[in-house]
Amino acid sequence: MDILLPALVLGAIGFVLGLLINLVSKYFHVEEDSRIETIEAMLPKYNCGACGYAGCHDMAIGLLNKKAMVNQCKPIKQEAKEALMAHLDELFKAEKTSTNN
Amino acid sequence: MSISGLISLAFTAMIIENVILNQFLGICPFLGVSKKRSSAVGMGVAVVAVILLSGIITWSLYRFVLSPLKMEYMQTIVFILVIAALVQMVELILKKTSPALYKALGIYLPLITTNCAVLGVALINIRKDYNFAEMIVFSLFIPLGFLLVITIFSMLREKIDTAPVPKAFKGTPIALITAAILAMIFSRFGGLI
Ligand code: SF4
Repeated sequence: MDILLPALVLGAIGFVLGLLINLVSKYFHVEEDSRIETIEAMLPKYNCGACGYAGCHDMAIGLLNKKAMVNQCKPIKQEAKEALMAHLDELFKAEKTSTNN
Repeated sequence: MSISGLISLAFTAMIIENVILNQFLGICPFLGVSKKRSSAVGMGVAVVAVILLSGIITWSLYRFVLSPLKMEYMQTIVFILVIAALVQMVELILKKTSPALYKALGIYLPLITTNCAVLGVALINIRKDYNFAEMIVFSLFIPLGFLLVITIFSMLREKIDTAPVPKAFKGTPIALITAAILAMIFSRFGGLI
């Protein structure tokens, strides 16, 4: 019983804070390039920082700007890596043709 | 505590016991974001907002939740939780309201979470058993001292950038030496009270 109350209180505080963050993020939502979102969704979402970026979101921006290599992400699975590379190739190819026209 | 007591507390918190130069808290952003004045001021203001808010919230949580429930031993965990959430919110708000500053602060913005000055102020508020007014004054003037020193320091660094510094001292070494001299100057303010 001694442990139940602290756990409950801590859980409650965490819940309230989480709710607040959610509200703030809704209210202060920033429209971003949808390509970043799709790339980020293909990363492992661990936000571990092993790639040298501040998190998966930053890494996605780096990938889009061709500043980062997919290899920099350490925990990514082989299949996911291949899928992501294919996706990036396609993106950049589409970009090229559109700028050539 | 009387008004004069509060004023002397404010002065002590801001200048004499300056967080950076006297208590050595928050050194990481102090050295990291002080290369340019604009981002240094931005960092300082963000820290003021975070410390003041987290000071009020953690103090209230301690007084009205943790202390009555005899859960004082949980204070560190709870405080860290509150600070992390607050920094997250400040980050989201900054991203919307000032993208340029958001970019300039970069990784140092989420790192406010681990800025020991924030947790330090929250814990000192409790340890010194401050009442509400003292807590507000303390949590406002400690980060104002941070803002003051990081602004002065960034101006010094901008000047140093154009000075002929010996190669071995370029970058961080000269910054640390400057900080040490600044700390010596600030330590003399102790004689004022
Ligand atoms: S290494 Fe991969 S999982 Fe870790 S933060 Fe970078 S992109 Fe995300």
